[in-house]
Amino acid sequence: EDAREKSSVSKELLAHRRRLVDEWNAWRKRVEKELIEERQAAGLPPVSIRDTENVEVIE
Amino acid sequence: MRPILLQGHTRSLTQIKYNAEGDLLFSVSKDHVVNVWYSHNGERLGTYNGHVGAIWSVAVNSTSTLLITGSADNSAKLWEVRTGKCLHTWEFKTAVKRVAFSEDDSMILAVTEQRMGYPGSVVILSLNQDIDAKQSDEPITTIHPEGSKAMVADWGYLNKYIITGHENGTISQYDWKTGNLIQSIQPHTAEITDLQMSEDRTYFITSSKDKSAQIFESNTLSPLKKYVTDAPLNSASITPVQEFVILGGGQEAMHVTTTGARQGKFECRFWHKILEEEVGRVKGHFGPINTISVHPSGQSFSSGGEDGYVRVHHFDQDYFKFKYPDL
Repeated sequence: EDAREKSSVSKELLAHRRRLVDEWNAWRKRVEKELIEERQAAGLPPVSIRDTENVEVIE
Repeated sequence: MRPILLQGHTRSLTQIKYNAEGDLLFSVSKDHVVNVWYSHNGERLGTYNGHVGAIWSVAVNSTSTLLITGSADNSAKLWEVRTGKCLHTWEFKTAVKRVAFSEDDSMILAVTEQRMGYPGSVVILSLNQDIDAKQSDEPITTIHPEGSKAMVADWGYLNKYIITGHENGTISQYDWKTGNLIQSIQPHTAEITDLQMSEDRTYFITSSKDKSAQIFESNTLSPLKKYVTDAPLNSASITPVQEFVILGGGQEAMHVTTTGARQGKFECRFWHKILEEEVGRVKGHFGPINTISVHPSGQSFSSGGEDGYVRVHHFDQDYFKFKYPDL
C-alpha cells in the first residue's frame, strides 16, 4: 500500500508537502525561540518538556 | 489498535482528560458522575460524587493532586484526586460549561452559561495548591464577553492571556487581569465546541459545528492550519508523537434517526497536522463523539461518545513507524 501511495504521489504534490513541512519547521523554530526568551525573562528554565522516560506508573 | 471500552457512565460523555503523567484518565458525563480510570487497562479507580446536575467539564492540575469540575448544577467543584474528597465548591448563577487550570496551576477559569437575566462570563479564580487550605470565593476577574457567548476557554503559556471560543465561531484573546479584550477573529462560521492547547501552549486547535477544525498561533491568533471534514465536530486534539490531529464529532441523533452509524460519521478522524490531509479513521462509537483526549506522551488516545462509552486506543508499532512517503 505504501509503495502504491509512493508511485501515485506526483512531483508537484511532493514539492507542496515538503514546502508545508519546511514552513512549519521554520515557524516552530521562531516560536520556540520566543518562548525560551520569554521563559528566561520570567526566570524560568528554557522549556518544561515532560519527562516521559521516567514516568512512575501506578499499577 | 485494540480499544478498551470503559463502561461506567449511563449518559453521554462531555469531556475526558488524561493527567500529566498519562496514567490516569478522568471522565465526566451528563449522568452527574466523575470517574477516574487507569489508562493502561481501563480499570476504574474511583468516582467523585457530589454534583447534582450534568457535568460539562473536567481539568486536573499538573501534579495530579487536584481536580476541578464544572456542572449544570451551577457549581464548580475542587476535588482531591487521591481520596475523592470534595475540597471546595464555587457557586455561580448559571451552569459551568468549561473549567481549566493555568499553566502553573495557580489559577482556574470557569466559563459560565448565559441564561435569561444572566450574561455569560469567564470567571478567573486564584487557587491554593495546599489541600488543607481554604479557597477564595472572590474572583480575580469576571470577564463578560460582548456579542456571542463563550463556550470554551484555556490559558496561554506563562499566564499571558486566556483564549476563548464562542458560539458564533469567534476566537478571542483576553487579558485576565483587567478583563479587557486584546484581539479577536472569527475563523469559524458556527459554534466552537472544543479548544485544546499544544503541549507548550504556543498554538492551539479548535473544533466547530461548521465541520472544520483549525490551528492558530496563540500569541497572534494567526490561522495556521485548517481541516475541513463532512461532519459537525465536537472535539479536536493534537498528538505529541507524529504530526497528527484527531478530530471527532458526527451528526446529532435527531438528524440520523433514519440512517445507520455509518452515515452518522461517528469516527475519530486522523489528519496530518502539517499537510492538512486525512490519513485514517477509527470507528467504534454508536453516536457522535463528544470529546477526544490524547495521552501526554502519545501512547494512546481516548474518545468519549454520546453513546455513554469511553474508548481507549493504545497505538501499535505501525503507528509510531508511520511515515509519509519521501518526506
